[in-house]
Amino acid sequence: MMKLIAMSIMALSLMGCSMVKEVKPWEKETLARPIMQFGGIHPEVTKFESHVYFSKEASRGGSGVAGGGCGCN
Amino acid sequence: MQLKNITIKLSQATAIAIVASNALYAENYVAVEFLQYDENNNRVSVSAPTLSASYDIGTDYTIKADFVHDAVSGATPVWQSDTASGASGRDDSGDYVYKNQEFEEGRNAGSIMLTTRFVNRDELYTGIDVSRESDFDSKSVSAEYMHYTDKSHNQSINIGASFAYNEILAYDYDTGSGASAKETSTSINLQGGIAQVLSEHSSAKAEAFVIVDDGYLTNPHATVVRNYGTAEQRLITENRPDKRTAYGANLKYITMLGDDISYQANYRFYTDDWDINSHTIDNDIYYAMNDDLILGLGLRYYTQTEASFYNEKKDFFSDEEFASSDERLSSFNALTYKASVDYKINDNISYNLGAEFYSQSTGLDATMITTGFKYKF
Repeated sequence: MMKLIAMSIMALSLMGCSMVKEVKPWEKETLARPIMQFGGIHPEVTKFESHVYFSKEASRGGSGVAGGGCGCN
Repeated sequence: MQLKNITIKLSQATAIAIVASNALYAENYVAVEFLQYDENNNRVSVSAPTLSASYDIGTDYTIKADFVHDAVSGATPVWQSDTASGASGRDDSGDYVYKNQEFEEGRNAGSIMLTTRFVNRDELYTGIDVSRESDFDSKSVSAEYMHYTDKSHNQSINIGASFAYNEILAYDYDTGSGASAKETSTSINLQGGIAQVLSEHSSAKAEAFVIVDDGYLTNPHATVVRNYGTAEQRLITENRPDKRTAYGANLKYITMLGDDISYQANYRFYTDDWDINSHTIDNDIYYAMNDDLILGLGLRYYTQTEASFYNEKKDFFSDEEFASSDERLSSFNALTYKASVDYKINDNISYNLGAEFYSQSTGLDATMITTGFKYKF
């Protein structure tokens, strides 16, 4: 499984190097809009959601390394 | 010509400064948010007010802090004696039923994160998280470094790690002595990935993570029935392995559909040595109706397999070392439907309202309402 994960990341990296055209800094106005941010426009709400899923489901991870534990699981 | 070059360079510098940083919209702010979470069948209810703030110290540092208080009440289903009515009824007279056990809990949690930016606008995030309940304390430290691999800041790699130390007060329900023991556990979380701008209108992220939990991972409030129907039948605290190693990957993609609609997709794969595998697909659409109003819709699908030591029946476990009937370790699917409104009242104040409906194939349904104000300065 780790091999698959590593290969996926390498593939994306290579894609970034070779298949994606360079976007100049002044062409990034759209990417800078609030609705174009990973994780949504309200990080506080996203944190609530993650906490609910953490307490009701048996898997976690992938949303950053920060965050404390909880006795809810 | 020279003026044009200067103008372009200034535009470049401004754009790099804007796009390079996660502090893109990290104006100084104070936000209050309130969450109301309610499950069906009189199960868990949570009221959680949150206060958060972010403050830029010059252009190289941002400090963020938040505090939340969870007031939790309700009930959660566990195996109980059918003659017991209290929260700790574990007598073995009579039969057993899987029914709600009432509880009440409060939780205070806080976190502080410092973002440090370097000359090339690489970023270092360092943080501390603390969470306290009557029977569970957690403290964690984390650090993550994000490095741009190209001049235009189209690609970045990140690597991070956190360490959490937990203290659990485990009551001895089984002997009825009323004694409690302080147990501990640790959790190490490692994560690394790559982010890539794909075009003027889209970007993607791929991350892999490893989580190692070690120590007391049992839920001291959850029960199993052992040796049902024999002279040795007992209702006893569940027992989980004291180590859990998980691996996973997260793929994210975001793009604009037209001028004012963004779409983002997120897929997460998770696997661990308790035999739990899960897949999560999250889709969100945001529509900026005008400069002041943003509408959001989302759909999340989640599915997991059951832990190797899970069984829901009362006549299943005998003398196995590990046993749990906690339905969160069972095999199930879940859907979340999401809707949100974000309204900018004026240049400084915005209001948000969100509603979510969560439905598991276990029969658990829940609603989540979030509402709050943000003041930027």
